[in-house]
Amino acid sequence: MLEFSAINIGCTIANLLILYAIFRIFLFKRVDKILLQRKEEVDEATKAADLATQQALSTKKEYEERIALADEEKEQILADIKKQGYDEYDRIVSDAKKKGEQIIVEAKHNAEVENERAKEVYAAQLTDMVIDAAAKIAATKHSSADDKELYDKFINEAGVDNE
Amino acid sequence: MDFTALGAAIAVFTGLGAGLGIGMATSKATDAVARQPEADGKILKLLVLGCALAEATAIYGFVIAIMILFS
Amino acid sequence: MDIKELLNEILLKDKAFIHLPFGNGKYDIYESVVVTWIIMAIVLVALLILTHGFKVHNISKRQAAVEAFVVWVRKMVGDMLGEEAAGYTDYIVTVLIFLGVSNMSGLLGFIPPTMDINVTAALALMSIVLVEAAGIHHKGTKGWLKSFIQPMVVVAPMNIMELAIKPLSLCMRLFGNIIGATVIMELLKHVLPFALPVPFSVYFDMFDGLIQAYVFVFLTSLYIKEAVE
Repeated sequence: MLEFSAINIGCTIANLLILYAIFRIFLFKRVDKILLQRKEEVDEATKAADLATQQALSTKKEYEERIALADEEKEQILADIKKQGYDEYDRIVSDAKKKGEQIIVEAKHNAEVENERAKEVYAAQLTDMVIDAAAKIAATKHSSADDKELYDKFINEAGVDNE
Repeated sequence: MDFTALGAAIAVFTGLGAGLGIGMATSKATDAVARQPEADGKILKLLVLGCALAEATAIYGFVIAIMILFS
Repeated sequence: MDIKELLNEILLKDKAFIHLPFGNGKYDIYESVVVTWIIMAIVLVALLILTHGFKVHNISKRQAAVEAFVVWVRKMVGDMLGEEAAGYTDYIVTVLIFLGVSNMSGLLGFIPPTMDINVTAALALMSIVLVEAAGIHHKGTKGWLKSFIQPMVVVAPMNIMELAIKPLSLCMRLFGNIIGATVIMELLKHVLPFALPVPFSVYFDMFDGLIQAYVFVFLTSLYIKEAVE
């Protein structure tokens, strides 16, 4: 039972090598192929995902920049509008001031003119009175009594008129 | 007088060493598992391997005995 | 004495299965080789069925199981071999599966091929050739020759003896285990042909067979790892 037989050892070695080939061809290579394919697919998917992430990030950045730009614009516009508003306000206020001053000036002027006119009227009246008095004096005879009476009358008239 | 059976019996005495070896290995493995229960997987693997190797001596004795008896 | 007759029948029966007309029985093909052929045919058919129509997506349960098994067994063997000798994984896995199937073929009524010393001798021979070839391939012929006088010149005879001891030990361990298991199983069947052999069959045919296959592969891997370091 313990004798060695060269041909059977040789046969077994051949069998083992054939079995190894069978395992290589029908098991390991097939499994390896599938595993490799799967690995490649996963790698590709990972790559694609990375690419998509990068694109998304860049787009996001772009949008953020745009939003920042829009914000700036908005602030610019707001500032402009504010400025315009202030300008308008200033303009209106200054216009109003000017108008007020003008009105005051006109009013002063009018008042002066009125005053002048009133003075002229008084002067005319005074002149009339004087002329009237002179005419009266000329029409009547002169005495000191008359003069005194006349003078009083004139004073009274003038005083009444001037009051 | 035929002494072949006696020879075979002596050859089978190799089983003594194998038994002692496996017994010692198992006792040490038990100690190790008691000390580190989390490593029982590794210890079991090593124990089975050691037992198989220790058993080999008994197997050699058995083979020799059979050779003596039947060759 | 019937037990002696039984053992005689098991151990001394004519192993020749195919008688060749020349060489006076010197070139007979043994039963173990024929059983190996049958196992190879079964393995081939099983592989063709199992790995048929592999896809990348929407895999079937069969494919998932095969893939998981291949990855698992490769990892196990790869761990034993170490990183440098990882290229020999496929051969070691082949031997492991062949030994597992052979040792368990007793369950199917075959005589296990590993019960024939020629088969285990061939396996051990292949192992030692692979070990030395790996040493030569990884270290170069000079490095391989130098490895015999390491760590000291004094141990050179031991190292050279190991060349013969390693395969002999591998061969005899496997052969002895399987033949011992078979003899015990035959005796048990002789004592009580039903029920009793079942638990022993589970131990001797399945557990012991797988353990011995693992040990054979482990030792071969250990030697290869040692040789390439």
